[in-house]
Amino acid sequence: MISKKLAIDVLNEALSTGADYAEIFYEDSTSASISIDNGKVETSSSTSICGVGLRLLKENQCIYGYTNDLSKKGLLTLASSLSKSLHGDRLITVTKLDMIRAANRNPVTNSYRNISRQEKIALIKEGTDYIASLNNPKIVRYSGFFADNHRYVALFNSKGKWFDRHSEFGRLAYSVVAADETGFETGFVGPGAQQDISYFHTKVNPVECAKDAVRVALQNLGAKECPSGKMPVIIGNGWGGVLFHESCGHPLEASAVAKGLSCFTGKEGDYIASPLVSAVDDSTMPQAWGSIDIDDEGNLGTKRQLIKDGKLTDFMIDDLNGRRMNREGNGACRRQNYRYIPTSRMSNTYIENGKSTKEEIIKATKLGLYTVGFNGGSVDPSTGEFNFGCSEAYIVRDGKICEPVKGATLIGKGFEILKNIDMVGNDLDLGQGMCGASSGSIRTNVGQPTIRVSEVIVGGRGGELK
Amino acid sequence: MKYDKFFQLAKEAGIEEAELYIGQSYELSFSLFHSEVDNYSMNNGYVILARGLVNGKFGTATCDVFNNEKAEYLVNEIVANAAVIENEDPQIIFGGSPKYKKINTFNSSLAKVSVEEKMAALRELESAIRSYDKRIVEVSGVEYSESMSTTTLMNSKGLKLVQKSNYFVLVGAALASENGQTKSGYSILLDNDWSKVDVKKLAREVGEKTVSQLGGSPCASGKYKVVLAPSVVSSFMSALIDSASAEEVQKHSSFFEGKLNQKVASRKVTIEDKPLSRNVFARWFDDEGVATSNKAIIKNGVLETYLYNLTTAAKEGRESTGNSQRSGSKIFIAPTFLCLKPGKKSFEQLLEDVGNGVYITEVSGLHAGLNSQSGNFSLQSTGFLIENGKLGQPLDLITVAGNLLQLFADVSEVGSNVEVRPSGTSAPSVVVKKLNITGK
Repeated sequence: MISKKLAIDVLNEALSTGADYAEIFYEDSTSASISIDNGKVETSSSTSICGVGLRLLKENQCIYGYTNDLSKKGLLTLASSLSKSLHGDRLITVTKLDMIRAANRNPVTNSYRNISRQEKIALIKEGTDYIASLNNPKIVRYSGFFADNHRYVALFNSKGKWFDRHSEFGRLAYSVVAADETGFETGFVGPGAQQDISYFHTKVNPVECAKDAVRVALQNLGAKECPSGKMPVIIGNGWGGVLFHESCGHPLEASAVAKGLSCFTGKEGDYIASPLVSAVDDSTMPQAWGSIDIDDEGNLGTKRQLIKDGKLTDFMIDDLNGRRMNREGNGACRRQNYRYIPTSRMSNTYIENGKSTKEEIIKATKLGLYTVGFNGGSVDPSTGEFNFGCSEAYIVRDGKICEPVKGATLIGKGFEILKNIDMVGNDLDLGQGMCGASSGSIRTNVGQPTIRVSEVIVGGRGGELK
Repeated sequence: MKYDKFFQLAKEAGIEEAELYIGQSYELSFSLFHSEVDNYSMNNGYVILARGLVNGKFGTATCDVFNNEKAEYLVNEIVANAAVIENEDPQIIFGGSPKYKKINTFNSSLAKVSVEEKMAALRELESAIRSYDKRIVEVSGVEYSESMSTTTLMNSKGLKLVQKSNYFVLVGAALASENGQTKSGYSILLDNDWSKVDVKKLAREVGEKTVSQLGGSPCASGKYKVVLAPSVVSSFMSALIDSASAEEVQKHSSFFEGKLNQKVASRKVTIEDKPLSRNVFARWFDDEGVATSNKAIIKNGVLETYLYNLTTAAKEGRESTGNSQRSGSKIFIAPTFLCLKPGKKSFEQLLEDVGNGVYITEVSGLHAGLNSQSGNFSLQSTGFLIENGKLGQPLDLITVAGNLLQLFADVSEVGSNVEVRPSGTSAPSVVVKKLNITGK
């Protein structure tokens, strides 16, 4: 840990050549993971990371360095070498550090560090034992996984503020490989939470998770190839929010918007989506996978209304990119760990509930695709072109869910898709994912109710939709 | 010595054999936006991957600071982790290969090039991209980064191996716009020899890649004869070779199981792992300390070998192929420098041979649209129509769908236009007899 006195010395050394902001980000985190392959514990590993990232800002410029040498000498050397990149006179002197007061919506209650490996193994085995009990020759490989992470960070900045916080995350996952004479298919289910192990004992049913992974793998084994072309697509609730995350979330991050590298730059106040669409990025949801009380530059986590009734109303903003936008950071600055330069990122991002029921949406669709499970996707924020892959999908004919299909990928331009959303359901749910970008891999929730897009390009090998 | 404490504590704790894998790196990077430095970073990184055998089972632990307290942490975690392992596969700490063929992967001249000179190259790159074409509306970023690293593997069997390496990466990215359509493009140069830097050429590549996509629209959906760009071939080849891992084969989750010495691809296809190539990707020992070697995985379409680490090799009573890799706490099997052997025909000749079809320059979202277990893929793509043996209209918002095994079986020609990719692969273009394309 770094004392306040040392922090002040390091900040002042860093500020000596004219930086207008400096920040020390200290992290001491541990994580553990256990994997079970075909019924037997195969790996158990522990990781500890501990280091300091030092960031200096001068107008639009960012200077960054990290080190594992946490001695006074090591930190002052880092501050001094980073400050040599600037050549001005001192603008700021830090004399005291006051603690930032913030709600603790994500308290660490029963730390994973006190949970035995045996308890975690027993939890995973509830699901893997179920898969083993099926004795299904088509299941050629199955695995279960539990990972937990304890993150401790402390931040000191030249605004004279400091805070420190512990947070914890757990994730349980199952993956299944099924095979027959036609080939291989996979199924995956992996719920996570910013909660202690009791969440996995009470809110998650490992057997149901494992059952679902098995069901998807076996179903895809027998499924027909997905037809291709432009078609109406119903996107299921929860994980279906990947569509919004990719097609709209990333282009609304200040890291793209501020430099004019987003298709939504300059569109604040414009109608960028169907009037049925309202969307938020909310880092204040208690104990949710993507929640933060304070972001990684010391701003309080907030709920941002990104889109209201189709109109673009806000962005995810960090202080540095905010300078180019004449805005202050709104608590969206995040990083994987001390090795990454933090920037604007999403937290819990979702399309809000509409009025239709899922049944009404399906009933109103004559011919199209209903997608339920997803593998993730990617986007180019500047062009808005996105893709995402479906792990579970069905043909909808005459208002009814029909046969399953596999191998569907949805592509398009985000700003077109948002306008083509013509039905929004009332069954909002969230799905837990890892989002990768320049500041590393971070936890984010994606989410939405069931929605329908009137026309999406679907890539597959099944020929024309009939 | 610094790490003796760990080995001493390990012994005291009853760890039969122990090993440390230590990675030390210094990284420098900077980027420009509108001719101003927008990011400048200098990092000293350190990672220690430790493992040890207790009752024949491996426990692993990782940290990024080393001192007496952390040595104790590593030992305690190894013991506790090993105690819960149930897998009965043979676990081995390696005593060393009879012979290592050392390759120099450190170019000391890179450090002699001043930061000012590197910064000047970046400024030149930015302005050359900007002036490439008036339709370039923004240089979204130019970045220089370099890394100097030392990898040390040491274990209680007395093995100690050290490899020092360095490289730099120069990246340029741009946006072009015309008639309300915006397109992005980038290009990367990775090397450790500064004399290879040709800023004008890199700028031209960025400009060309970006501007050439303008005016793109989807083609009609259907099955097409396809030419794949080297970068796309590299992506597909890497995904195909995931299934050559002996672990996947032994666990019955590989489509290559039972296919050894059988035809698994077109006879035009020869895929080799060449860790002893003289380039920045070279590794002369793998992450378990086994000497690496160049070898064909698929030769003239026939599957010659799977890739092994010590455990999977011991299970079959054979030697490791030197393909163990570690990333954080993960230990897996992978090729080091994967190469598709080039053919004789130029890219232009491939286009002529195809006559009419589609040229795919890029595929996106591989993590979501390509399942390396099943080999099935459906991917967002960009490219060009091929009309009468020449490149025609640019294509955007199309998808390419197929199966990796089928794709490599359908390779009818391999070009001579080899490109080495920053991902540690090398491949030329190939012609694929048919692939499903979805457009309009």
